[in-house]
Amino acid sequence: MKRINLTGRALSDVALTVFDQSPEAAQELAGKNAPYGLILTTETAYSDLDPELIEKADLIAIDFPAFGDGRGFSLAVRLRKDFNFTGELRATGPVIPDQAQFLLRAGFDSVDTDDARAAAFQKAAGRFTAFYQTDYTGNTSVAHTRHGPSQRERKAS
Amino acid sequence: MYAYDPYDKEIVNTRVEEFRDQVNRRLSGELTEEEFRPLRLMNGLYLQLHAYMLRVAIPYGTLSSVQMRRLALIARKYDKGYGHFTTRQNIQYNWPKLVDTPDILLDLADVEMHAIQTSGNCIRNVTTDQFSGATADEIADPRPYAELIRQWSTFHPEFSFLPRKFKIAITGAPSDRAAVKWHDIGLVVRKNDAGDIGFEVLVGGGMGRTPVIAKTIRDFIPEADLLGYLEAILRVYNEQGRRDNKYKARIKILVEALGSDTFADLVEKEWQTTRHHPIDVPEAEIKRIEAFFAPPPLEVLPEQDPAVDELAANNFLFHAFLKNNVRPHKVPGHVNVTISLKPHGGIPGDATDAQMDLVADLADTYSLGEIRVSHEQNLILPHVARRDLPELYEALSRSGLGTANVGLISDIIACPGLDYCALANARSIPIAQNLAKRFDDITRLQDIGELKVKISGCINSCGHHHAGHIGILGVDRKGEEVYQLLLGGSGAEDASKAQILGPGFDENGIVDAVETVVAVYLGERQDGEKFLETYRRIGADPFKEAVYEAH
Repeated sequence: MKRINLTGRALSDVALTVFDQSPEAAQELAGKNAPYGLILTTETAYSDLDPELIEKADLIAIDFPAFGDGRGFSLAVRLRKDFNFTGELRATGPVIPDQAQFLLRAGFDSVDTDDARAAAFQKAAGRFTAFYQTDYTGNTSVAHTRHGPSQRERKAS
Repeated sequence: MYAYDPYDKEIVNTRVEEFRDQVNRRLSGELTEEEFRPLRLMNGLYLQLHAYMLRVAIPYGTLSSVQMRRLALIARKYDKGYGHFTTRQNIQYNWPKLVDTPDILLDLADVEMHAIQTSGNCIRNVTTDQFSGATADEIADPRPYAELIRQWSTFHPEFSFLPRKFKIAITGAPSDRAAVKWHDIGLVVRKNDAGDIGFEVLVGGGMGRTPVIAKTIRDFIPEADLLGYLEAILRVYNEQGRRDNKYKARIKILVEALGSDTFADLVEKEWQTTRHHPIDVPEAEIKRIEAFFAPPPLEVLPEQDPAVDELAANNFLFHAFLKNNVRPHKVPGHVNVTISLKPHGGIPGDATDAQMDLVADLADTYSLGEIRVSHEQNLILPHVARRDLPELYEALSRSGLGTANVGLISDIIACPGLDYCALANARSIPIAQNLAKRFDDITRLQDIGELKVKISGCINSCGHHHAGHIGILGVDRKGEEVYQLLLGGSGAEDASKAQILGPGFDENGIVDAVETVVAVYLGERQDGEKFLETYRRIGADPFKEAVYEAH
């Protein structure tokens, strides 16, 4: 297994806890004074998440049961957009190298993948350099860049 | 027409390189077919019964003559000399070799075309009215918005792995020629009391094994908020659409399960949280795209032309062509000409490379180099001077493109069916051919009048049988092809679901049954009544009695 760094930020090495959303688990985490990491599945409904627990997490891993389970992308967007999560966001599970740029642009920082796929992941992550959507890596939609530098400052939704 | 700027070019060229890399990895054995499958499917490359099939996007059905010539070249160079125009205003090639597909994409990119998102569980090519920008009955040309949606949906970081495919259609006119109510999202251009442009938004339409007509979730979304609102719809669908069963994964199932009011509330709530973010484009960008679709400089000409009238009086077939294939343009003295790709005995939607080249030449001579593809699988020259019609008709009929049957019973929509498709249960093409043969008389066709026949070779409904005035569905019964007959569907603004009349027929019986249905209509119709109107007035019973009594 290899960890691919998509964004170049310093990756977290905190232990991950499967977050079952129970009040007990939430209380335990809230009482911790040490950094923590959470594992969320694509089944997780964002509306069930505790905003404070999310915001304070050092690392969140979203586990994809299948590469085509696109809920992981919306969940990532939610964490960035609705929970102001600024920690590391990691994709685990059978995601494929050709998704590298989608993951990156939806807000993921890192991916755990088979050694054999690591090189393909790295290559795919930098393939496109122009985009039709403003995203979480700081890329601005060409719809905005076309109309001057003043638009470049805009942030993702 | 829209023209790529350096950004558009870069994105499409990068996609060609990416796909070439993926194909090379497959050819070298680095990727198994199983691993390659999702990658090729994101680029319109299907493995069919006999070969790969490549679906090329024709965004909102608008083509330049240069692009049409390139489609002809690809048919000649990489295929067997023909292509198939589809109900989604795209073109499919049935015989490309895998190793050639990157070069085909390169040839397409050269004329600002691609095959991006023509398959896979993502937002597909946006479709629209084939007469956009050339018809008097529209509030605004919908193509700038379709282009806006094309760009926003291309390689969307969040919405490229949806529960299922996602189709958006938009019409600028109250007369719906784009079947918007049969789409995952249908958009209808509206003008509010202040004179501002916006859109009525419908969701949850679709065909397949569960036909549903879309429901309105918002009467008016302002132009500037369109993409943000679409993003909210897609987010709710991506999160909550079913992923456990592909037949229940389309948005229509979610909207039905939640109820359209609840779905609308969820979308509204999400949209309110994001509407002030820059999903939507600056106004200058809308203006930039609109400028590409500015009305062409057409001279106002007399509505009547003596040469046209004279030919119509002396040439019965030209008279029929004028009546069926020609409709008014918004500029006086001009017309939209529909070129039927439904010659009797031919394959609906197919065109040879020579025919594509000819249409390109005729577009240059008579239609400012512009061509449209309709979801009814015909081609349109949108800006023709009425006085040029005799010459144009002459050129078309010399090449087998003068069939005067647009909107009539032989202007049939048919999917490729079991002749090509890996999903099909039955053949569609021979049924279309036999029907056209049975009604092979222009006088009879015109007497029957507007009648839309739509044939699908399986329940996936690519031939739109649910929306046919007469729909035909091919199914497999213990190894036999059986054809069900449906009546009363509509894909227009008065959308309705066709209903199965009774037990199915074999391939000869279905043609007889259609003829009986037509006979009942002719006997029952009142003055000026079209087939659908008669059916809606008298109901299915008289048809049922006649069809199954005679059978």
